[in-house]
Amino acid sequence: MRAQTLIGALLAGASLMNAACSPLGVRPWQRETLAREEMQLNAEPLDRAIDDHLYFSKEAAAGGRSFAGGGCGCN
Amino acid sequence: MHAQAQVESTIERELRLEARGREMCAVCFLAMGSPCELLLPAMSGTGALALAQIAAREAWRIEQKFSRYRDDSVIAWIHAHRGELLELDEESASLIDFAAHCHELSEGLFDITSGVLGQAWRFDGAEHVPDPQAIERLLASIGFEKIQWQRPRLMLPEGMELDLGGIGKEYAVDRVHELLALRTSMPFLVNFGGDLRANRPPQWGPWQVGIERPDSDREATMVLGLERGALATSGDSRRFVRYEGRRYGHILDPRTGWPVPQAPRSVSVAASSCTEAGLLSTLAMLKGAAAEQFLAEQQVPHWVLR
Amino acid sequence: MQLKRAAASLSTRQRLMAASCALLGATSARGEDGVTAPAPSGLFGTLLDNVTLDSALAYYHENGRIRAVEPIVDVSKVFSGGSTLGVDGVFDSLSGSTPNGALPSRAPQTFASPSAKGLGAGSRTYTTAPGGLPVDPHYHDERVAFGLAWNQPLTRTLGLSLGAKVSDEHDFVSLTTSASLASAFNEKNTTVSLGITDEIDSVKPIGGAPLAGSNYALFEKTGGSKSKDGVGALLGVTQIITRQWISEFDLSADRFTGYLNDPYKIISVLDGGGHVTGYQYESRPDERTRRGAYLENRLAGNALSAALSLRYTSDDWRVRSDTAELRMRWTFAERVRYLEPVVRWYRQTAADFYVPWLDAALQTGTTFASSDSRLAPLHSMTYGIKFAERMGDASDPQASELNVRLQYYRQTFDSPRSIPAALQGLDLIPALNAIMLQVGWRF
Repeated sequence: MRAQTLIGALLAGASLMNAACSPLGVRPWQRETLAREEMQLNAEPLDRAIDDHLYFSKEAAAGGRSFAGGGCGCN
Repeated sequence: MHAQAQVESTIERELRLEARGREMCAVCFLAMGSPCELLLPAMSGTGALALAQIAAREAWRIEQKFSRYRDDSVIAWIHAHRGELLELDEESASLIDFAAHCHELSEGLFDITSGVLGQAWRFDGAEHVPDPQAIERLLASIGFEKIQWQRPRLMLPEGMELDLGGIGKEYAVDRVHELLALRTSMPFLVNFGGDLRANRPPQWGPWQVGIERPDSDREATMVLGLERGALATSGDSRRFVRYEGRRYGHILDPRTGWPVPQAPRSVSVAASSCTEAGLLSTLAMLKGAAAEQFLAEQQVPHWVLR
Repeated sequence: MQLKRAAASLSTRQRLMAASCALLGATSARGEDGVTAPAPSGLFGTLLDNVTLDSALAYYHENGRIRAVEPIVDVSKVFSGGSTLGVDGVFDSLSGSTPNGALPSRAPQTFASPSAKGLGAGSRTYTTAPGGLPVDPHYHDERVAFGLAWNQPLTRTLGLSLGAKVSDEHDFVSLTTSASLASAFNEKNTTVSLGITDEIDSVKPIGGAPLAGSNYALFEKTGGSKSKDGVGALLGVTQIITRQWISEFDLSADRFTGYLNDPYKIISVLDGGGHVTGYQYESRPDERTRRGAYLENRLAGNALSAALSLRYTSDDWRVRSDTAELRMRWTFAERVRYLEPVVRWYRQTAADFYVPWLDAALQTGTTFASSDSRLAPLHSMTYGIKFAERMGDASDPQASELNVRLQYYRQTFDSPRSIPAALQGLDLIPALNAIMLQVGWRF
């Protein structure tokens, strides 16, 4: 229960932070590190798809990050 | 010594892929003493690098062939055989022909033999101004008309030097542009240290090109929208000498041996080819106070900063 | 005077143009040093420009239960306008033993695998030894799925994504469509996206769909195929914070209606002492609404980078879940190789109609009930490591790559409360241990 409250608070705080943080960022020519593969938010899509399929078939929660799109009869 | 040269050439030959926002990427490398980049719409990195390799190889080829700082270049070979009648290859002959035409239509302002003035002038921002007599002596070794040139044969008299630095970079931009235009139908922009050319605009609008302020490398003074064609800039932002409180640019008048008085800080010209744009911006600088008038008469888009 | 000078100067430019055309025309006539301009590539050549192929083969093995092999291929092409088309295909082959929802017992238990022939002669039966978890060893399924994804930039800062997925297996067909719009602000440091998705599924259980909540022995079946539909929405914000830190926050919601039961799961019915008196098919509500919040942060150092993600979900079945995953990447050998360990922690609470067993005396037959362990209170941990080797330029996000990944997944369940006498000492809901090995190739 306490871990749950903590995670909930972190998420709420993060959404506020995101809203208030619009002046943050980098100039267009400062994106060399962000261009790396491991910094892409949708990096390793095949791995994520395989993982999502496994967790979808073994756990009650699903997706949340994008359209996990159930699409299989395993849950 | 050999290993060092190898290491240097490996470092030199590095292509670096960067993202420029979500929809554009750039491949950067060093060539001809300048940071060079190829801008492309965001695409597979292997595709971008394949195109950039074509661009970089051509830039390095031209640098190796025509740089006066390399002892394996055609220029070095010409310098090693002063006084002899040499037969040039097609590409070198075309460049000398071009220099000859420019010398004539600029009435002597543009002169590829003016490189010897570098022996007297050091543009490091210090107070050092050479002795007028030294300059007089150097003037004897300057003057394209003193060269024997009948295509394809060239004879460079003793004491004279050739320097293609004034047109080499712009020529490389045009050559790379043509090689890439044959290879891809994608929009791209070739930018060799501020001399640039684009084949066509990307989907989201014109290429946003910035012209640096001459005395600060922070904010660009102005951002131009370039759809296609070339932009070349001549400027003194980093190489100048101070004398009696005044700042002299590194553009020297080959007829006098001295910096052009009242030369602008920077001239940018847009034209259909980078060679043409570069020549026009150089000529405008050499016109000094009359730069704006000269460019207005040429009816080319231009930006002069003082 | 001025006019004459203007005329003379104009010819300067014309002469210059002529001179540069002569230069550039002359030097392009032939290539130097073998750098010849190649002939424009034919249709096949242009078709293969900017195409990436990503593929993986995964092998999954649960201890004593399911085994699966899953090859997956994804081909994507970037077009000259910046739009992207992706086509992917998945093939799943599963076999092994799957829990049927009943509880272990001190006596042997016999069940029939789902088939059209009922529980009598001709059906395939299986017997579970005393104390063992009842699992159907005849489980076998194959699934084929295809997906299409189209990404189209509309303006410099607005993009549209459309997607469609079709999945087909022995007893289940699904079609999902999705659309989303993404808008960038603040020099593209901030992106807001909004998307919707629609899914329609058709379930055709082997042997027919059992009457929900009915007695297993009576083998009452209803109808042929059942359907369920779902709609979902996603609101996402991504924010670049520093040159080395990017963050994403998503809110999601979805609602499914229709046939949400698992037609093969049964619940043990026990008397007061804990002995089995029979079994009952499960019964779930015909509606489920879920909400979720997700936060992801990616940070990059020199050779080390990290991705930390947190997720919280809740639904109107009273299932709440927390997920935390940390992935680190260590890049070495001049960015040609990397090692990527990952650890994931997951916890969920039970659905309000989850019961490990039913009490014979309290059966009403009209309330919802399920003993599916996926609706039980559980913890799971994943530990994984990935090793990859890149070919070509290492700093290119799309460089060719060969990789291998190993993961260990363990699911543990809380022991039920007040275990009846006959079941004391039995491991009623055993832990799940699974290994996944995967090789991948991208070029």
